[in-house]
Amino acid sequence: MQLPQILVDAYDAYKGKIVKPSDNLLHKTTGLLQNGMNARAFGEYPSPEALGDARWTDELILSTWYMAETGKVPSDMNFKTGKSDGGFDRLDFQFLPEEEWLEHSEEIDTAIPLNRRADGKHDLGIDIPWYGGGMSYGSVSINVMMARAKNAKRWNSYMSTGEGGYPTELYEVKENVITQVATGYFGVEEETIQAAPIVEFKYAQGAKPGLGGHLLAAKAGEEVAKLRGSVPFVSLFSPFPFHSTYSVEDHSKHLDWIETVNPQALLSVKVSTPHDVDMVAVGSYYAGAHIIHLDGSYGGTGAAPEIAKKNIAMPIELAIPKVHKFLQKEGVRDKVTLIASGGVRTADDIAKAIALGADGCVLGTTDLVGMGCTRCANCEGGPSGRGCPWGLTTTDIELQEWVQQDWAEMRLDNLYKAMQWRLRDILRKLAMDDVSQLRGRTDLLRYIGKEGVE
Amino acid sequence: MIIAFSLYRANLGVRMLESTTELEYAEVDGKLTLDRFSSQSTKIARETADSYHRYHIDTEEVEDADPLPHRFLVEVGKVGLATLLAKETLHYFRPWDPNFDVIFARPCTYGVFSGPVGGFAPKPELCVGCMRCAVQHPEFVKVLPNPDLLELGDSYTTHGHITAIDEEARKGMVPVRGQGYRGRFGGPGFDGMLTDMSEIVRPSRDGIHGRELIGTSVDIGSKPMHLTFDSDGRITGPTPEMFTIQVPFVFDLPPGDLGTEELARVVTSTAAEIDTIACLDASLVLREGLDSPYIAPVMDAVMGSRASQFPNARMIELTLTPGRPWGWDCSGFEAACDATDAIVAVRIAFEEGWQDLMSNAIDAGAKVIHLLADLHGEGSDGTFVTELFKEAHMMLIEQGCRDEVTLIGAGGIVGADHVPKAIISGLDAVALDLPVLFALQGRSHGSLKERALVSGTLPKNLDENWAQQRLTNLCGSWRDQLLEILGAMGVREVRRLRGEFGRSMLVSHLEYEAFEDISGYVGGGS
Ligand code: SF4
Ligand code: SF4
Repeated sequence: MQLPQILVDAYDAYKGKIVKPSDNLLHKTTGLLQNGMNARAFGEYPSPEALGDARWTDELILSTWYMAETGKVPSDMNFKTGKSDGGFDRLDFQFLPEEEWLEHSEEIDTAIPLNRRADGKHDLGIDIPWYGGGMSYGSVSINVMMARAKNAKRWNSYMSTGEGGYPTELYEVKENVITQVATGYFGVEEETIQAAPIVEFKYAQGAKPGLGGHLLAAKAGEEVAKLRGSVPFVSLFSPFPFHSTYSVEDHSKHLDWIETVNPQALLSVKVSTPHDVDMVAVGSYYAGAHIIHLDGSYGGTGAAPEIAKKNIAMPIELAIPKVHKFLQKEGVRDKVTLIASGGVRTADDIAKAIALGADGCVLGTTDLVGMGCTRCANCEGGPSGRGCPWGLTTTDIELQEWVQQDWAEMRLDNLYKAMQWRLRDILRKLAMDDVSQLRGRTDLLRYIGKEGVE
Repeated sequence: MIIAFSLYRANLGVRMLESTTELEYAEVDGKLTLDRFSSQSTKIARETADSYHRYHIDTEEVEDADPLPHRFLVEVGKVGLATLLAKETLHYFRPWDPNFDVIFARPCTYGVFSGPVGGFAPKPELCVGCMRCAVQHPEFVKVLPNPDLLELGDSYTTHGHITAIDEEARKGMVPVRGQGYRGRFGGPGFDGMLTDMSEIVRPSRDGIHGRELIGTSVDIGSKPMHLTFDSDGRITGPTPEMFTIQVPFVFDLPPGDLGTEELARVVTSTAAEIDTIACLDASLVLREGLDSPYIAPVMDAVMGSRASQFPNARMIELTLTPGRPWGWDCSGFEAACDATDAIVAVRIAFEEGWQDLMSNAIDAGAKVIHLLADLHGEGSDGTFVTELFKEAHMMLIEQGCRDEVTLIGAGGIVGADHVPKAIISGLDAVALDLPVLFALQGRSHGSLKERALVSGTLPKNLDENWAQQRLTNLCGSWRDQLLEILGAMGVREVRRLRGEFGRSMLVSHLEYEAFEDISGYVGGGS
């Protein structure tokens, strides 16, 4: 086929240029993407054939899109579980007979406290038993980061900065932003510690336990480098472990340091899930942590070696009961908040994690899916080197525009509405009017066979 | 402890270093005195420092020779596309403001629609399955998994393993991706085993990136469980009989019809490149003139005396006589030992009575046992290799001779994670079979379970330099992935991982602990 010369010349001039999109292009592309997502989620077109995997099935992705658009749970898709043949996907609730169910009501309390130590520090809590996990600026765009942070504010919840510094835009919502201190100390400054209601020490992360972090050079552009105090377009390694920590005493010293800089801040300790995770959790409690954040091996949003995701450390479903029971045995369970992440996808997963012994969860991938992620796994750059083609995990000047802040915030707000609705639905079917009543109630769960959840 | 070890080294005058491929066993005569110890240890330390080079596998991205079927098929409805383009041109094109950026914008950032005619002639080989086009234009774009890819391999060695090996052999890097794990929870075989990590110990990321050493070398042969000295300080008992390879994997005898001359040449040169060994049929080695320290000729035990035909080999492997599968052919083994200074290894299949056979071989003096499961990693009774390797390892421990015997094992090792898991199960080193075929972009035909029945083909007109680089890349990638696992654990050398069951976690055990009080849980693992 021969195209008119004017088009050929124009295309030659156009191709390969990466520039901020014009208003027309922005309008066209975001319109097509958003309409396309709705068309797939509302069943106007069938599920894309190559969408989904065992953990995030096509139905789970499309139902998350549906919830993010409507604020409601879908009636004709499985929005509860994947098909991974284990963990959350083989657990279900044993609901009471229908006549014992409570009415669906906003009175069903989904809030949890975060400070259980009664130590005079901020008496913080969240209105929903989850908050946003760390995704650093650089690993995601500023639009994505701000949409998450603003949505956290709407929901009286939090979002962690991840290890990438604290863009100035975030100060606008600083009451809802957790400052992460990780092993590379990128962007950790006195001001960002002082701004934070909660400071999170990241010892390890579930997707790459024991391996630290790595931001590829292509994603460490001018802005990212500035925030991290580094040179543009140079790979940034976040080493493992903290080179100042060889014991619980050293860890305690870290927490003391934060306390000196920001005496009111709550302290969260994020660890992955090795065999001795229960000991690690208790050690963290005695070192002064208010929140113990377990990050299981199957989750994570950042780029990680495939071998680590699948093989190193344990999935979160197996770690929660271990830690919960050990904290109980030590007599400190009610003095610390146990937060679970790493493969928590849905409201049902959150409820199951709580029934297994967590107080609440941290979400990362779910937020991204709500904003359009298809789990294609090209976040680290992919063959294009530009990062996420959907504009999520990228700072490419063109691609990042496909996710506009207001739209993304609206999507997350809707998604959280639907998730809260479903969480209340589970609670009422168990005749509970407060999510805290569900903690550790493994007697309300049942293990199902390979046929899956109905 | 350290002094004892130094004395041991100094007294033997043995250079046993991670970085060197050259081994010297020089008996130091005379009595060991403090002066002599000091001078010897200083000398060894100096020599060591002078000759030190850090072991490294040089990887380099190489082109495909016979690419795997691409992951996705991209179907674009031509009428739909033409209609869209016409509409957009009408809507956006103005002579004074042509809006070419809008008209030319394409949903794919990977170049699938990058030709001048764009979506009319898509390039599906570039598709990474981001689904943007299929979502953006649901009315005329479809992206489907490629059934040709899904058909590769068999029920054990899946297309997932094959594509991973293909990528590792192409790039020589650790595969890295975003957005978490995508597969099933736990699983059978190696998938049911997880490896542990430590929150605070070193070496770790630093080690992986070169500032600290994490050793991957292993010793093949025998180390005495202790040394004995006479009253003059002279060693009277056995001394180590071993050599060191730099990675805990060797290339196994190619299964089925894969043992071609060209493959033999490729594995030989790669083994030399990365400093390991390749097991090859003895007659093929002779025919091709491949005898070298990097080849372990494999011959029938009754032909043991022919071991003398391989003066350069560091190891000879004997298989059992067909037709007499359970009879330990002691005479063949002795003949081989008489005929060569090389270490004589014995290949034992996990078939009924393997334990007796292994004991007999060790009693007769075998220093290396090469254990073989089928290519699905099962013994003849269906037991998986993790259990079988563990049993073999525990047998040696119970007999008090673990360090006197090296265990090499093969069967079902088709992923980088299988290497540390097999070593945790008790092996010193693993032997790679099918990964070699897939690293070279070969294709298999039919089942990949029975070794003898494997059928496969390598790319036509195989460029042996290309093939060597591919195999080297695979080894580099698998070694780096091993470093990731060791680094996460804080283990400094792979030798310390052998039989460290405590460094692993079984999904079935963890599940039992976590779910035992949940109604309906019956155990057994996911
Ligand atoms: S690259 Fe793919 S997996 Fe990563 S955020 Fe974007 S859509 Fe999601
Ligand atoms: S699915 Fe993504 S990578 Fe594949 S053709 Fe469509 S836009 Fe390109």
